[in-house]
Amino acid sequence: MTHLTQSWLILMALLAASTALAASGLAGAGFTLTVLTLAGLKARVILASYLRLNTAPGWQRGFDLGLTLLLALMATLALAA
Amino acid sequence: MPPTQTTPHLPGELMMWILILSELAVFGAGLTAFLALRISDPTGFAEAQSHLHRTGAGINTIILITSGWLAALATRAAEAGQTRRLRTLLALAITLGAAFLTLKASEFIDLSTQGITFETHAFFTFSYMLTIFHAAHVLAGMILLALVAKLKTPAAVETGAAFWHMVDLIWVILFPVIYLL
Repeated sequence: MTHLTQSWLILMALLAASTALAASGLAGAGFTLTVLTLAGLKARVILASYLRLNTAPGWQRGFDLGLTLLLALMATLALAA
Repeated sequence: MPPTQTTPHLPGELMMWILILSELAVFGAGLTAFLALRISDPTGFAEAQSHLHRTGAGINTIILITSGWLAALATRAAEAGQTRRLRTLLALAITLGAAFLTLKASEFIDLSTQGITFETHAFFTFSYMLTIFHAAHVLAGMILLALVAKLKTPAAVETGAAFWHMVDLIWVILFPVIYLL
């Protein structure tokens, strides 16, 4: 199995986790933080594997930081509602 | 998944990365504004969200993630000089893009028949704006993938696929914010 196919399977597993969480009817801070964390993990797999940022670790760290800050801002706003 | 070889440079075309960063900034700003507005009317936003096709959006996530995988495989096929394989993979990725747009259109038609427009609620102003803008990128990506399938050079295919991955990347952030939170 190639690493691209492994990445696709990881993305499917992360999506399944998001779907199960949404279907569970859970709400609140735990739900919000988990859903956004799963979104961040999916974005990271796409950047690292599909877009090959794993070949440029310095750039990958920069994208990780930017993505984390964006999701942290989103989580703060979502939890404020 | 450790990389086979590391480099201090960004992989692929620099201009495509500038575009990816720009689009992430645009969609990030839009989604942040959406969440900021939600603070003033969480009940109204939750009611509005209940009209969306959550299952259809979940299926669309599977579709885009899979089409991204096919586009990434096409990049590797281009590097291996496998023209027929890369064209087949890109054709499949484009077909999945069309499936994504079809599902999205069915949601828009359903909302329209319910009388829901841009002006119905701030939720719909932003959700329509962001998802239609994203759908326009999907359409542009499909055209770009068709063009690079014709060109078939590794650099062209990598650039086209990178645009497609950007579309994928934006959707995995947009989907939970608009449909799940």
